Amino acid sequence: MTNEIKPINMPKWGMEMSEGDINVWYFAVGDQVNAGDDLVDIETSKIINTVTATDSGILRAVLGATGETHAVGALLGVIASAETSDADIQAFIASNASAAAETVAEVAAPAAAAIETAPAPVAIPQPANGLSKLAEGEDDSLVAASPVARRLAAEYGVNLNNITGTGRHDRVSKWDLEAAVLAAGGRLIGNASTITATGAVQFGDDSNVKATPVARRIATQLGINLLECRVSGDRGRVCKADVEAVAALKNKMPAQAGGTTAVSSNNTVESQPISGMRKTIAARLQASKQTAPHFRVHIDAEIDALLEVRKQINNSNSDAKVSVNDFIVKACASALMKVPAINVQFDGEQLSYFSNADISVAVAIDDGLITPIVTDANHKGLVEISNTTRDLATRAKLGRLKPEEFQGGSFCISNLGMYGIKQFDAIINPPQGAILAVGAGEQRPVVKDGELAVATVMSLTLSSDHRIIDGAVAAQFMSVLKAYLEQPATMLG
Amino acid sequence: MTTQQFDLMVVGGGPGGYVAAIRAAQLGFKTALVEKEHLGGVCLNWGCIPTKSLLRGADIAHTLKQAEHFGFTFDNLSFDIKKLVQHSRAVASKLTHGVAYLMQKNGITIIDGSASLADKCLLDVEHEGKVTQYKATHIILATGARPRNLPSIEIDGDSVWGAREAMTPTELPRKLLVIGGGAIGVEFASLYNDLGTDVTLVEAEQRITPAEDADISALAEKAFVQRGIKVLTNSIVQSIDTTGADTVALISGPKGDQQLEFDQVILAVGITGNIENLGLESLKVETEKGFLQADGFGKTNLAGLYAIGDVAGPPWLAHKASHEAVICVEKIAGVDGVKPLNKDQVPGCTYCRPQIASVGLTEAQAKAAGHSIRVGRFNLNANGKALAINEAEGLVKTVFDENSGELLGAHMIGPEVTEQIQGFGIAQQLEATEHELAQSIFAHPTVSESMHESVLDSLGIALHK
Repeated sequence: MTNEIKPINMPKWGMEMSEGDINVWYFAVGDQVNAGDDLVDIETSKIINTVTATDSGILRAVLGATGETHAVGALLGVIASAETSDADIQAFIASNASAAAETVAEVAAPAAAAIETAPAPVAIPQPANGLSKLAEGEDDSLVAASPVARRLAAEYGVNLNNITGTGRHDRVSKWDLEAAVLAAGGRLIGNASTITATGAVQFGDDSNVKATPVARRIATQLGINLLECRVSGDRGRVCKADVEAVAALKNKMPAQAGGTTAVSSNNTVESQPISGMRKTIAARLQASKQTAPHFRVHIDAEIDALLEVRKQINNSNSDAKVSVNDFIVKACASALMKVPAINVQFDGEQLSYFSNADISVAVAIDDGLITPIVTDANHKGLVEISNTTRDLATRAKLGRLKPEEFQGGSFCISNLGMYGIKQFDAIINPPQGAILAVGAGEQRPVVKDGELAVATVMSLTLSSDHRIIDGAVAAQFMSVLKAYLEQPATMLG
Repeated sequence: MTTQQFDLMVVGGGPGGYVAAIRAAQLGFKTALVEKEHLGGVCLNWGCIPTKSLLRGADIAHTLKQAEHFGFTFDNLSFDIKKLVQHSRAVASKLTHGVAYLMQKNGITIIDGSASLADKCLLDVEHEGKVTQYKATHIILATGARPRNLPSIEIDGDSVWGAREAMTPTELPRKLLVIGGGAIGVEFASLYNDLGTDVTLVEAEQRITPAEDADISALAEKAFVQRGIKVLTNSIVQSIDTTGADTVALISGPKGDQQLEFDQVILAVGITGNIENLGLESLKVETEKGFLQADGFGKTNLAGLYAIGDVAGPPWLAHKASHEAVICVEKIAGVDGVKPLNKDQVPGCTYCRPQIASVGLTEAQAKAAGHSIRVGRFNLNANGKALAINEAEGLVKTVFDENSGELLGAHMIGPEVTEQIQGFGIAQQLEATEHELAQSIFAHPTVSESMHESVLDSLGIALHK
């Protein structure tokens, strides 16, 4: 086993991620961690995602406590073998101090104080040598194994191909697995010693500590070792109050959100820190407006023919509820294929042209907005676009989108027509090159062949980044788009 | 006024609908539930719960009848059915309030009224003559079902009771005809027989509880006949004449026609889905034989429309409805690992005496599906606990696939078997073989030891047989 020390760093998910909040650690200092285990949940701007361990070993230190915000790349924890000395761990942390110092200012102090290290457990058979042999092998998903054995195998990092099953039809049982782990010189989960060389009880594995289920869960969530807690519950168990007492000591309880300031006799101001999502929206839109010189072109499209086609599609197809917005997505996808200079991303230096239209659709959600992507919209039919958008919008509101479902995109549509907005300008969703703002379709007087007539008209405004898109190109895109919307049969071909 | 909009609306507040609403609210949907009558649906108000409350009274009657066997004698025993019905209604009412509390706790908007689809994702709700329109991206229909009538015999609430009237009697019938030997029919036959009514049970198929394994049906019939219930199988009630003082039923069976007199009839010949007045026809929503057509996740052929529970077809069980509710909502929300309903893993329970419980395939179904099978049987008359409580009438039958060892089905009849069937259900879900079940240690003395013995018997190694 090597003495190598492995860092756990704040990941960078997507181009715009600069920091993340620690949501919950799944392991406490001193726990055995196997490669592939879920380590820690990080809340970025729009989602919560899980960092998984890339290495196996003991979680020796945690530098990012629950609730803290850390910069991308910051050192959050350390995984090392059991025999690596505390001094080496501290030296490693110190050498990463520059990264740790990037912790955003308001939480820097508690972060520094929260460094805990686990003492090296002694007199425990070292599992890694034997177990690493058990870990080798091809995909074991087809090996017959009981559900319990399969889950335990994942925890031990054991490949089931290496276990001889003695169950019926040679199925691998829990007993088979544990026998193999022991035979390989490993130790069974839950039997770790907590006695150090000096004989003093340290904050090591707390899995044998008697605790109420609630106390154990809270302790895990707050990253508190149950061995730190006094025991005041019935039957000698650590109870909820005991964990909360330690949490209060360590200042780990969730901060009181907001505060109320009296301004005048009956006018109160409630101040609240903004959410991660709101921070991202603020940073991105400000950067967009500051770096991308926006220019806008505006056009009106008559959509009576489109509404008629929509009615026919919806009436003839039970599984279709195609909206006007779905037509706009389809029309934009077709227009982007005709005018590929709009279907771009620009990061300030490099201009990327996309072969397919990945169209971001702005969806308003409770605490902000998110732009799930209808990928390959140029290859999708209207009904497919409609059903995809409904699914994306549903899951966007529930916060259940995967990062790849809202990060990226080659073009964006923002539609405020349902609120009766006639016309508006949108801010480009960087690094995209342009965004279309869609107003309400409404009956308006139009002049045709010198006669006054009534048509359903929709106002469309394209905001483009003038660094990379010229006025004539934007105008060309808008006229192609208008043609598709006014003669919808042409985009269905 | 602008149309109120929800992410998800549920029509029907039964064990399918209210569970769907709770799961949706948990996942973050802005959720509303439309109910035209009582929260809790048929299950809480007119089905599972009130009948179990009445059957508890039947249990007590049965216990009192055998009191002498245990050394007790008493005089002046009297019974007031009104009090038993009162208990049953009080339980239903309590649970209905419990559901209302759950709705409130989960932030679900309750809308009183009758809903119908005005268009895709658009609901009209009519309440006291006023129609309000609501928009919802996803609409789940959980409107349930109601008792079916026969062409020649209809529930009139007077001479001919449906389940609802049968659970709110004001006096005990003297001579009762129960038409239909399925789960509902045998429960009422068992209930009224225990309470002292002379009961005749008529079933068109060749055995009562025809959905159960044949061995179970045979034992149930034997127990019923021993208790004095007249069981007429292969028989059809051709007509009933309610004009006289007594109701006269013309029943044709294997031995020809006979005319029998009763003072009360219960019609329990199955149920039909509540699919009327929902606006389904104009939107071309697919239905078949009175039920909505949906896929394994409850999705219908109409965009944004789902159907769960009784209205989506058999098995007509509250726990099936609740399970469908959860998987339907989780599928919409994109929860990972949602599996479609496996109808072979839905347990069925009938609360007659002795109780019947089963999960999975019967022996005949397993054979028909092409399995080579291994069958275990164990009679409760060799079970110590069953003898101790003087309820040794019963059987545990297990059906395994001979090759894979999979538990294909388990069929039980006997005391409190409805509380024991979950053991087999969990074994099925975990894909345990007869091997794991045989190695499990069952506590002694329990009725459920017979489950173990039945498994051992399938391997030819039963210890007490």
